Amino acid sequence: MSTLRTRFRSSGAGFSLRGTLVPLVFAIALFAQSTRSVWDGVYTSDQATRGSALYAGTCASCHGTALTGGESAPPLAGGDFLSNWNGLTVGDLFERIRVSMPANRPGSLKREEDADVLAYMLSMNQFPPGKTELDHQTEALKQIRIEPKP
Amino acid sequence: MSKKTVWLLLSCAALQAQQPSTKNGEWPYYTADLKGTKYSPLDQINASNFSKLEVAWRFKTDNLGPRPEYKLEGTPLMVKGTLYTTGGTRRSVLSLDAKTGEVNWVYTLREGMRAAIAPRQLSGRGVSYWTDGKGDDRVVFVTTGYRLISLNAHTGQPISTFGKNGIVDLKEGMVTGTGQQIDLETGEAGLHATPLVVKDVIIVGSSFKEGMTVVTHNNTKGLVRAYDARTGKLLWTFNTIPRPGEFGNETWENGSWATNGNTGVWTQMTVDEDLGLVYLPVETPTSDFYGGERPGNNLFAESLVCVDLKTGKRKWHFQIVHHPIWDYDLSSAPILADINVGGKAIKAVALPSKESFLYVFDRITGQPVWPIEERPVPQSDVPGEKTAATQPFPTRPPAYGRQYLKIPDDLIDFTPEMRAQAKDAVARYRTGPMFLPPAVGDSNILGALTLGTASGGTNWPGAAYDPETHIAYAQANQSAVFPISLRTPPEGFSDIHYVMGRNGTEFRVSEGPGFGTAADAPQAQRRPARPAAPAAPAPTAPAPPAPAANAGALTVQGLSIVKPPYAVISAINLDRGDLQWQVPYGETPDVVRNHPALKGKDIANTGQGGSVGLVVTKTLVILGDSQVTTTPSHPRGAMLRAYDKATGKEVGAVLMPAPQSGSPMTYMVDGKQYIVVAVSGGAYSGEYIAYALPE
Repeated sequence: MSTLRTRFRSSGAGFSLRGTLVPLVFAIALFAQSTRSVWDGVYTSDQATRGSALYAGTCASCHGTALTGGESAPPLAGGDFLSNWNGLTVGDLFERIRVSMPANRPGSLKREEDADVLAYMLSMNQFPPGKTELDHQTEALKQIRIEPKP
Repeated sequence: MSKKTVWLLLSCAALQAQQPSTKNGEWPYYTADLKGTKYSPLDQINASNFSKLEVAWRFKTDNLGPRPEYKLEGTPLMVKGTLYTTGGTRRSVLSLDAKTGEVNWVYTLREGMRAAIAPRQLSGRGVSYWTDGKGDDRVVFVTTGYRLISLNAHTGQPISTFGKNGIVDLKEGMVTGTGQQIDLETGEAGLHATPLVVKDVIIVGSSFKEGMTVVTHNNTKGLVRAYDARTGKLLWTFNTIPRPGEFGNETWENGSWATNGNTGVWTQMTVDEDLGLVYLPVETPTSDFYGGERPGNNLFAESLVCVDLKTGKRKWHFQIVHHPIWDYDLSSAPILADINVGGKAIKAVALPSKESFLYVFDRITGQPVWPIEERPVPQSDVPGEKTAATQPFPTRPPAYGRQYLKIPDDLIDFTPEMRAQAKDAVARYRTGPMFLPPAVGDSNILGALTLGTASGGTNWPGAAYDPETHIAYAQANQSAVFPISLRTPPEGFSDIHYVMGRNGTEFRVSEGPGFGTAADAPQAQRRPARPAAPAAPAPTAPAPPAPAANAGALTVQGLSIVKPPYAVISAINLDRGDLQWQVPYGETPDVVRNHPALKGKDIANTGQGGSVGLVVTKTLVILGDSQVTTTPSHPRGAMLRAYDKATGKEVGAVLMPAPQSGSPMTYMVDGKQYIVVAVSGGAYSGEYIAYALPE
């Protein structure tokens, strides 16, 4: 692990970061935005089952039957996938799917279908099912954090 | 010396001075210069201040098409204070003010279905620049739909005297079979790479769809062509699949030159302007993993070919892989390096590769600088396949990345349990040394487990070279475990006997990166003639997949099955032919750092997988992370990092909002050095970000 200790600035609102204060502030800011996480049973088994069929017909040709990705598309399950999405929300992932997927026909799935596929992806990433289906409104989904197991 | 000669020399010198160059703080070629070095002598940004870099400006490419692009791969050029690059799902060309990022002009060609069905989609790698040194300055690029366009660099308007109203249709002259012209609208040909512009010549390669599940082995044939930079007139063509009477035609046994395609040049080419020699890195023939329809060595597939700049005639070639069936391609721009080996000055060409070998040749004669030995390799048992008995192995420099999966040494070993699980997982695959041939996959053998083939080592972003110290720098992905399994295609799908897949499972067509994402999609995918089998059964309880379904999975508890480092950066001394240093690339991914089974363990930097490009400056090697991380020392993001080029020690880093997705570049305007890098991926759409030091 890098022991890099450095100073960051971004355009406009410059900010500097030192020590552990920033991750703490960052975590608090995230928590304030979203109150649930993917570990709280945010989809149902039935929804994931519906999503599985949609995935097989729409997504698997590029992302692989087991969501492992391929030369043509990144994995949608496992460590690399979660590394890239940890710290974001299910809403962010939903929007990415809605805006640009499936690649050969973006926007061709209904929002409800996008949510079903997303439920299947959550299931394949070992996040637990619950009693309520995943919503198909982006803003609602932005309340659900993607994060490592607490 | 006569007055006339002096005048001529002075004129030449003046013209030379007007040619853009990294010596002026510019970055006039994709690879910085024609030699493919990615080297800039700038040093305002150095180890003492790299971490103080700020975002000087940023350019989001979302609106350069009907929807955002998440795979922005361009590297801008900088000439005379202006940046030129591509962006967006329509591959628009941009002219930006190099100091502010303000738009000067945007050029977009709406190509409709021709772009939508193109084999190489999205914004591509950028543009090229041509100037007569007297004010006629042009930007040259290849559209998604494979048209060569020349634009006025000042206005963005097509040059009316170039081709037809500024456009040369590159599909004209592309053929299948024995010479059948492809359809100009639907025929398969495209290109991501930037054209090679040298003197008054534009040289353009060709590429095609991914070759994993091809519908025919008789695909479009690759070639390389040169055009007059002023008029767009075709000057010469080099057939990468030699025709009858041409050198190498007999290496396509049984007349198979006539019934096979691909073998294009999809990456950057380089040229020795003084010697008048062009270096072509040629890709894989049809298909990527099965060569039963093309017995023989298949020249010039996966060969480095040197041709004459004026005529396109072959001077020499070296086939890196005989009878290619691993998708090694030749992925990277050859690097021209003037080196000294054992007291002898050699004009060399060094070829970075997916194999993680740096192949080094005398670039005039084609002779290897250090011996390259033909060694016996494993043979295929796939019906109809006839593998080459031997393959070339360089003796120096040593490999700069992992080349195959050594069992069990290369398997994950964070804990004994993980090692044991990894051994179980690979048990149903064939494993073996480099050049392990693809296997027919079924329920018993899941395939041949390769590493460092299709996505290993150095890929399209290429490597870099410091012409002052004679050291090459390369990033190498060494966690790209790639199972190659072949199956018979469904009836009516293809005329090839084997495609990628596993017998007894549902057949799936594999598409290439970004395929189908052009602005004018939607479009049809390649599909089997028969209706697809029913969808995979959905899990009734979406808990962990059942053990049977997970058999052969190439992850262990969510982690890569190989042990770190997942990728490395190497400094390779070309005078000595050895590795000067090697360090992990990037930093430990979150999935390792936060893994419950690894809590409390002291794990050294694992690096992170992926393939990225780099810049070398007077003192630094600069490249960004391929993955997003959140660590105690920085918030969620990817880091653009600087390494001391003498030691490999990380000396600074600055936060990017998303992974580096294009190769970075650097330039200086009005006394200020900038670094520009394309970022995108995950939730983050394409953006060019310019970094500079605070005022």
